[in-house]
Amino acid sequence: MSQIETFYDVMRRQGITRRSFMKYCSLTAAALGLGPSFVPKIAHAMETKPRTPVIWVHGLECTCCSESFIRSAHPLAKDVVLSMISLDYDDTLMAAAGHAAEAAFEETIEKYKGNYILAVEGNPPLNEDGMFCITGGKPFVEKLRHAAKDAKAIISWGACASYGCVQAAAPNPTQATPVHKVITDKPIIKVPGCPPIAEVMTGVITYMLTFDRMPELDRQGRPAMFYSQRIHDKCYRRPHFDAGQFVEQWDDEAARKGYCLYKMGCKGPTTYNACSTVRWNEGVSFPIQSGHGCIGCSEDGFWDQHGFYERVTGIKQFGIEATADQIGFATTAVVGGAVAVHAAASALKRAQKKTEEA
Amino acid sequence: MSETPRLVVGPFNRVEGDLEVQLDLAEGRVASAQVNAPLYRGFERMLEGRAPSDALTVTPRICGICSISQSAAAAQALAAASGLVPTPQGALMAALIHAVENAADHLFHFNLFFMPDFTRPAYAAQPWYRLAVERFAAINGAAGRAAIEARTQLMHILGLMAGKWPHTLALQPGGVTRAPGPRDKLRIETSLRQFRKYLEREVFGGSLEEFVALGSIDALMRWQHGDVGLFLEIAAETGLADLGRGSGRYLSFGAYPLAEGHGFAPGLWCAGTLSPVDPSGIVEDLSHAWMLGGAAHPFEGQTEPDEAMREVAYTWCKAPRMKGEPLEVGALARQVIDGHPLARELAGGGVLARVAARLLELARTQILMEQWAAQIDPAGVFMHHGAVPENGTGAGLVEAARGSLGHWLRIDGGKIASYQIIAPTTWNFSPRDAQGVPGPLEAALVGAPVMEGEDTPVSVQHIVRSFDPCMVCTVH
Repeated sequence: MSQIETFYDVMRRQGITRRSFMKYCSLTAAALGLGPSFVPKIAHAMETKPRTPVIWVHGLECTCCSESFIRSAHPLAKDVVLSMISLDYDDTLMAAAGHAAEAAFEETIEKYKGNYILAVEGNPPLNEDGMFCITGGKPFVEKLRHAAKDAKAIISWGACASYGCVQAAAPNPTQATPVHKVITDKPIIKVPGCPPIAEVMTGVITYMLTFDRMPELDRQGRPAMFYSQRIHDKCYRRPHFDAGQFVEQWDDEAARKGYCLYKMGCKGPTTYNACSTVRWNEGVSFPIQSGHGCIGCSEDGFWDQHGFYERVTGIKQFGIEATADQIGFATTAVVGGAVAVHAAASALKRAQKKTEEA
Repeated sequence: MSETPRLVVGPFNRVEGDLEVQLDLAEGRVASAQVNAPLYRGFERMLEGRAPSDALTVTPRICGICSISQSAAAAQALAAASGLVPTPQGALMAALIHAVENAADHLFHFNLFFMPDFTRPAYAAQPWYRLAVERFAAINGAAGRAAIEARTQLMHILGLMAGKWPHTLALQPGGVTRAPGPRDKLRIETSLRQFRKYLEREVFGGSLEEFVALGSIDALMRWQHGDVGLFLEIAAETGLADLGRGSGRYLSFGAYPLAEGHGFAPGLWCAGTLSPVDPSGIVEDLSHAWMLGGAAHPFEGQTEPDEAMREVAYTWCKAPRMKGEPLEVGALARQVIDGHPLARELAGGGVLARVAARLLELARTQILMEQWAAQIDPAGVFMHHGAVPENGTGAGLVEAARGSLGHWLRIDGGKIASYQIIAPTTWNFSPRDAQGVPGPLEAALVGAPVMEGEDTPVSVQHIVRSFDPCMVCTVH
């Protein structure tokens, strides 16, 4: 193990100063919702632990996750994580091409057997023996199984890897299948969203690389620190919902005043994600802030739930705060099975913090 | 070399999606090429039977890099079906949002996808090699890092106006969902000013206006500043002008439709003459694609995969043809058709022409975006309202960074009856048609030199990347 560099080595080699390194550690702690006492712990871990190699593979997907990832807010975090990944394997960003790239892939698996994290963007289509997504002459599902065999843990990036996403929409022509239905014998962390928020991605991967374990997961296998609250819970337009002030038509007077988009089909009340707190494009905004409702892209099955502009019915408008869990249950009738799990999870969470660590 | 040696190049990295190119070689050159898009997802099939407005959410997810182009095409197709025209201010904001994505795509192509090929060991003996590595080495190159940073800053405009990127929801048939306030206008202008500074400092090494004023290839090749200067030096020494020459037949649907006309004009350029585009002349040929059915216009066409993957076919990509001819699309096509004097001289050119036209367009787009930002009127109307009809048809014809993108929508009984998409790379990387005529990339690869022992020939890499392929869009 000793020949593998530590994170700190990697960072210093990238020309990052000690001062910036400490800043990075405190930012990481903040992003992960950890107190200041964790800063030295993170620093210590990064100075002493050999870095965890990451192999990043792409199946049936649109690369929106990578796109999101490389625009993470803190340039240092992104640089560090990117440079850690680049040392190993990423088929979109790396330098090698063609057969050399395939060889690098095999070499990385061999070298770090049982010790690397496999990050999966996209998913395997299983129809017709996987022929709808062929990489390096083989169906992607084979590559995935092969890479997963010796992985320590798997990250399912985005809605594709976690749930299937739009390419699994009815009639699911290629039988696009989420990772956890193909790989059943490895710890899997789901980071859903289409794409997931950049800071959520860097946060999760930094946590795993730093502490060498998975963060606390919810019932669906998502990191609880980012997916435990509804968009609605922290939406800046929430007071308008409670006051019964709604947008009826885009660009009407109510829209310009920033009223609630619930009647325009906003799925914020049934969607668990950090959009309304962390926000997008370096914290600039998020869909609701740009005047369009949430489509619930981090929820299982969001692509096949009625129209995207149909209102979520059955939500009591007033006194929400008192009956948050009832709301969860009420919506299940409309949104279906996926949310039922949430409703149960949010009810249980306060009673017993369930940890499913790797 | 007794028999024809065959080389399969792929998978390509630093390309969005998967791609394989099969080359037949003769006397150290490519004699013929077959381009294979090995990924199929079936978006067109999923859209059938859904509410028409769902296209606004589903189609952007074809591609995480040019999602706004897909979104713009879907909005335009729905608008056409509903008889809606966006308000002038709505169209202005949509153009600005779309232009940010296109500029970002051009920037990334140059810095992260195209230039890193010159840092290959094959070029180690060249005098410019050290500088190329310093600037463009994959992931660690200074230019690449600066580009990621600058693009992130530029995309604050998308954060602000489009909520999130990729996969925004702000573009609608009648305009945009977000009415910008005076403060937003100021922030947009600030972001654009920063982006201009970056472009002038790092990429062009000089004033954008001066670069845009270049009127000939000679004048272009004398530009010595910035990364553009380094590229031109490398291009001159490695003969990129003659590598992968195109047919000189170009298509543009016209970029950025505004109340007063297009930002970059639509047209069809064949053998040095410009004519209007007639979309009814477009036919998708399926003879060499693993797709079932006959050749058809996209309003009549369907996407039925041939699960037997018949022998004569070799890709999931259909072969779009305009009145029987393959056409090249992209920044070069747009700039030639828009009539820029430098682009007109570059017409019919190869790798140099495609990359130079992209840089030219990047500079021109920045100037356009600044003009549009100045025209934002916070008191204006940003959206017209209208209902999608129970039955109807509509086409959305837009220009993505990589070229002409078309969505053809048919609505029946309030549901999508058919939805056909022809993406830019579908044009550029199309397979042969029933007459055996190769697609633009296949044709451009013929004659590319392959050195003894090269299994991923650099010439082929340069040519493929000069088209800036987006494979996930190609076969959706």
